[in-house]
Amino acid sequence: MVDKKRVSGIRRYFQLLGIYARMDLASLTRDGKFMAIVLAADIVSNISSISGIFLLAWKFGGIGGMDRFEVLFMLAYGNIVMGFLNMMGGCNTLFPSRIIGRGQWEHMFIMPLPYAVQLTVGIFPFTGSSSLLSGIGMLAVALCHLETPLPWWWPGMLVFQLIASMAVVTAASYLFSSLAFYAPVQCEEIASTVVYSMENAKSFPLSGMPLYIRCPLLTIFPAGLLAWFPTMILLGRATTLETFYPAVFALMLSLTAAYFFRKGFRYYVKKGINRYSAGGHRS
Amino acid sequence: MSKKESTDTVQAAIAHEDTAVSVSSVTKSFTRWQRKEGSGKGGIRSIFRQERRTVTALDDVSFQIKRGEFVAYAGPNGAGKSTTMKLLSGMLQPTAGSVSVLGMSPERDRIRLMKKLGVLFGNRTELWWDHPVIQSFEWKKVVWDIPDPVYQRNLGMVTELLDIGEIRNTFARELSLGQRMRADLGLMLLHSPEVILLDEPTLGLDVVAKRQMIEFLKRINREEGVTILVTSHDMDDLEEMARRILMISSGKLVYDGSFDGLREITGNLTHLTVTTDGRKPELSGCRLLSGKNGVFEFEVDLSRLPIRGMLERLSRADGILDIEIRKAPIEQVIAQLYQNWRSIRLSL
Repeated sequence: MVDKKRVSGIRRYFQLLGIYARMDLASLTRDGKFMAIVLAADIVSNISSISGIFLLAWKFGGIGGMDRFEVLFMLAYGNIVMGFLNMMGGCNTLFPSRIIGRGQWEHMFIMPLPYAVQLTVGIFPFTGSSSLLSGIGMLAVALCHLETPLPWWWPGMLVFQLIASMAVVTAASYLFSSLAFYAPVQCEEIASTVVYSMENAKSFPLSGMPLYIRCPLLTIFPAGLLAWFPTMILLGRATTLETFYPAVFALMLSLTAAYFFRKGFRYYVKKGINRYSAGGHRS
Repeated sequence: MSKKESTDTVQAAIAHEDTAVSVSSVTKSFTRWQRKEGSGKGGIRSIFRQERRTVTALDDVSFQIKRGEFVAYAGPNGAGKSTTMKLLSGMLQPTAGSVSVLGMSPERDRIRLMKKLGVLFGNRTELWWDHPVIQSFEWKKVVWDIPDPVYQRNLGMVTELLDIGEIRNTFARELSLGQRMRADLGLMLLHSPEVILLDEPTLGLDVVAKRQMIEFLKRINREEGVTILVTSHDMDDLEEMARRILMISSGKLVYDGSFDGLREITGNLTHLTVTTDGRKPELSGCRLLSGKNGVFEFEVDLSRLPIRGMLERLSRADGILDIEIRKAPIEQVIAQLYQNWRSIRLSL
């Protein structure tokens, strides 16, 4: 009985993912010119986002003790993290402060789905996956040139670290978005500020940096956990204890974010938000 | 359990089943920040120190709506109409009191309730902006988990009755307001809701679109037994649609009854149009509103001057060619009521 219910739940979840994916494909393919522009813009944007660091690494044969392809591996890792989140975060679910600040959570109240499901099914696999795909491509190139031997469990560790890094970004976004429940106008864009600043800072290799720079970037402003620190772990340059640091940090941050987000949500349903941005409720 | 207790319980259960919407002693307060006006030192201080003010949007409001009823919910701006709609659809929680729709709490049974409830706010859309209307319909089918036969039947019904066949493949952002409202209404009805909450559904619609919407709502209420609670600023629309009206003013429920009953409160105002050969009829007790080209319009309060008295006076007047008697527009009745309430509030 329970199994039947679970199977039906999983089937329904995939149905929901499917309808959003179909809609995303339809919006991409509705116009050939539009599709070409979107794809070209994404390619240019992704290349330019990593080219500065990679060219420096190429010119000087590496940065901070990391060789060229280790730097490329780090950049690829970062692109996969943000690429996957961008793909899953259609409908502004990676930027919940926009949903809250624009008064658009009201559309979510009237949908017969748990909020967690609503926030995870709105995927954009076609228009939002360029960063993920370029990241996978770059990772493949980097892996072909890495001199470090990789053990059999390495792919599992890669997935584990990727999940931890994604959890860090998501939790930080939700933690700061909790403020939007109290100050919707002022905090509408707080999630994008947090996410984009972490995304921009993630590309710098922190090897060789003094402790007073590395420590804040691994704790208070954890951009180092989005690419550099996991790269060090995956390249075998971290202790066993350090291997689990991103996961533990992600868990702590997620619990804190969940606590404050729930608290803010309870405030919201009691006090309401006298604000609504029209123009399509999923814009 | 005694026989009487058992009977009472059964009767209570039947009454409960018969109730679509129940609002019991609901109070809803909001906090608003206010900046004091001032110049010089006071003005500077007001920038840094703003005052918090508690506003009571709903004050101990109670009402019940039975299944199959079509109820109008009216009141001046800021009276608490939209707040009530948000409470019923679970978007807000009451500060005090309780709300239930179809015997379910919008807060605790949200997912179950939303499968049976339809909500439409006139100033917002549930349609996907960058997709054709039919895409939003298909999205709704999956999200609401609507069985295929139900979806096909309802799609056919809304396409025919709301005349949306031509706009089904148009992108939502390219629809006119009237078309968008029709498409939104169609989208809302796809899951066969048992209760519908409509907040200003005729907002900004032209006469034709408004007529289409009103006729459609009346039809689904009559034929499908759908319970409807609707707010609008257009009182004539409300009178045409609903049989019962709930009126709210400053957060308090001030009237619950029929439209005719509402007219009686304000003195049963009636309009009398008299066509003469050009002479102005002298009708004491009737207030002349306009007179042009032999057509004179009077306002008469039938609670003060009974219809027989008015006809007697008319029969004594000279040069009358035709007369027409009709109820005063509900808009006028309401305007008078709002004015009365406002003056009472100001005098307190």
